[in-house]
Amino acid sequence: MKIRSDIVRMYRDIHSWVGIVCGLALFIAFYAGSITMFEAPLQRWASAPMSISEHTPLEKTPELVEKVLAEYPKAAINYEITLEPGIERPARMSWSSGPRGSGTTYYAELGEDGSLQVHSEGPSAVGQLVDDLHRQIGILIDHDIAMPIMGTISLLYFIALVSGVIVLLPTLVKDLFILRIGKNLKRMWLDLHNALGLFSLPFHIIMALTAVVFAFHDQFYGAQGALLEKNGRAPAEVQVQHHQPPLNPQQIVARLQEQAPGFEPIYLNYHFDKDHGLEMRVAGSNSRYGMRGATFGYAGVDPFTGDITVTSYMPGEQDGWFATVTSFFALHFGNFGGNPVRWAYFLLGLAGAVLFYTGNLLWIETHRKKRRKGYEHLGVTQTRASKILGALTVGVCLGCIAGISTTIAAAKLLPLRAIGADAMFTWHSGIYYGVFILAIAWAFVRGAASGAVDLLYASAVATLLIPLVSLLSALVPGFGWNHGGSGYLIDLVAAVGAVSFVFLAQKTRKRIHSAPEYSIWYVADVLSTKPDTIGKMEASTAK
Amino acid sequence: MKPPVLSSRNWFGKAGAGAVAGFFLALAICGMLVQFGPLEIGFFSARAQLTMWLMAPLWALILSFCFLFHNGARAWTWLGGANLLLWGLLYGSRLLMA
Repeated sequence: MKIRSDIVRMYRDIHSWVGIVCGLALFIAFYAGSITMFEAPLQRWASAPMSISEHTPLEKTPELVEKVLAEYPKAAINYEITLEPGIERPARMSWSSGPRGSGTTYYAELGEDGSLQVHSEGPSAVGQLVDDLHRQIGILIDHDIAMPIMGTISLLYFIALVSGVIVLLPTLVKDLFILRIGKNLKRMWLDLHNALGLFSLPFHIIMALTAVVFAFHDQFYGAQGALLEKNGRAPAEVQVQHHQPPLNPQQIVARLQEQAPGFEPIYLNYHFDKDHGLEMRVAGSNSRYGMRGATFGYAGVDPFTGDITVTSYMPGEQDGWFATVTSFFALHFGNFGGNPVRWAYFLLGLAGAVLFYTGNLLWIETHRKKRRKGYEHLGVTQTRASKILGALTVGVCLGCIAGISTTIAAAKLLPLRAIGADAMFTWHSGIYYGVFILAIAWAFVRGAASGAVDLLYASAVATLLIPLVSLLSALVPGFGWNHGGSGYLIDLVAAVGAVSFVFLAQKTRKRIHSAPEYSIWYVADVLSTKPDTIGKMEASTAK
Repeated sequence: MKPPVLSSRNWFGKAGAGAVAGFFLALAICGMLVQFGPLEIGFFSARAQLTMWLMAPLWALILSFCFLFHNGARAWTWLGGANLLLWGLLYGSRLLMA
């Protein structure tokens, strides 16, 4: 395809600058986002076994609710009944002290003697940390401040996608199906960058646009509400004021099964307010359909009759308009089609992270000064900007990898379940940021090239810690835990990850010992002692 | 005639027009689809949510292609003009229908 050369040149500039500004943040978002595809197994892996493992039988739930509400009357405003308690949702009944799930979450069961047992030992906070790193691109500041930053970066990311495609279009046919593996390593990296970018373009467009909405939906709704004429229908007011007692959970589940057999309920949410009385939402999944939430959708249910009243967010029961809106969420979360799609999203996310890592390093390679012809006897000093950017890229990307691995591994080392969810979260984010900042500092001290080798080895060690603590848990009595099942998947993937990082470290080490002086991978102190050999080595490697 | 040469040097004016005028233009296009099409404004209905979602692709596309204007002044003129036209139509039709 022919595009005017000035347009291509302009968009190449835009692509590199936009990429440089948002590449590092996007690396974190994509790497952490890939891991969130397996948040449920990760939560299982990282959560300590519960001290109360006997759950109240479902038929005794009304008694449990009655006792909780007698002792904690505020729980009546909003509480949940989990149908199959496990490590992720550790008790039959749960509620939060703050509005909308904020504050401390309490869990309640009935003891064998019928006494009420209440605790706040939630599942591991490490899954939440990885999710937060993903959603707030690694900046764990106030949500309201982080969101506009994330939204702006997502917009820039979209511009980077459009400009990258425009730059590639003129040589698309020539460049697309080729990976020039050879002496010109930069050409090879560029081919890889192009191939990854183009073949995962639909995925990236979805991620960019949905992330813009996730960040700016309040502003969009606000602006539209203020400047455009409102014509939307208010939600149908269902006035249910029955004088009969609500159905018990077993009856609700049976009624749901009757009305929507494909819908698998996970928990029942009871909500009470003065205007509407008692209302119920049932969270559940249907693997044949995409869902509004990351792992489930909702059905509005009449708590007195068990009739499904609202199907707007119910997988498989939505009308075309709601199904369309839900598809945007489902395409971001990858929650349709079960495990094959989860794996595909995991790999696409990692490929995205590679795209940003290679993009940044390509930019630096392009902007570093080459040794000028005829002045070979003079040294070439690189600009401070390219040194800083190189170290920052290596430090941030590999620091993120090492930090996430370390903090995941720490879940089994620190007996934190008892100290509560908030303290647990503080510990995990502290460990993450400790490693992350240390890695960046190390990259600056050692420079991008040597730093990359060191930090790749460090990432390998950190990631190897994950299966190692599991192994220790299996061997040493009283240390850690293994839940089996999908938990082994975490250990296996981490082991494969560690091996890949060692492989990359060896490759990078080889590279820095043969890189020409103008390359980001050049290591000065290796060669500077023998000035004669520089020229020879350059002649053989520089292209 | 040789077409004018585009460059990334004057990006700020163009990007500013894309960000600000582009935002209101996206809003106006949503408004047109609400006024003369099937969409709605609000929080609860699916059509209203779709109207909100539409902002992201519209704004992002304007931002991506606003660099094709020759300079910032032209970007502001064209995007601003399109704004005037659409908002004029929107408010004009509202007056007529009222």
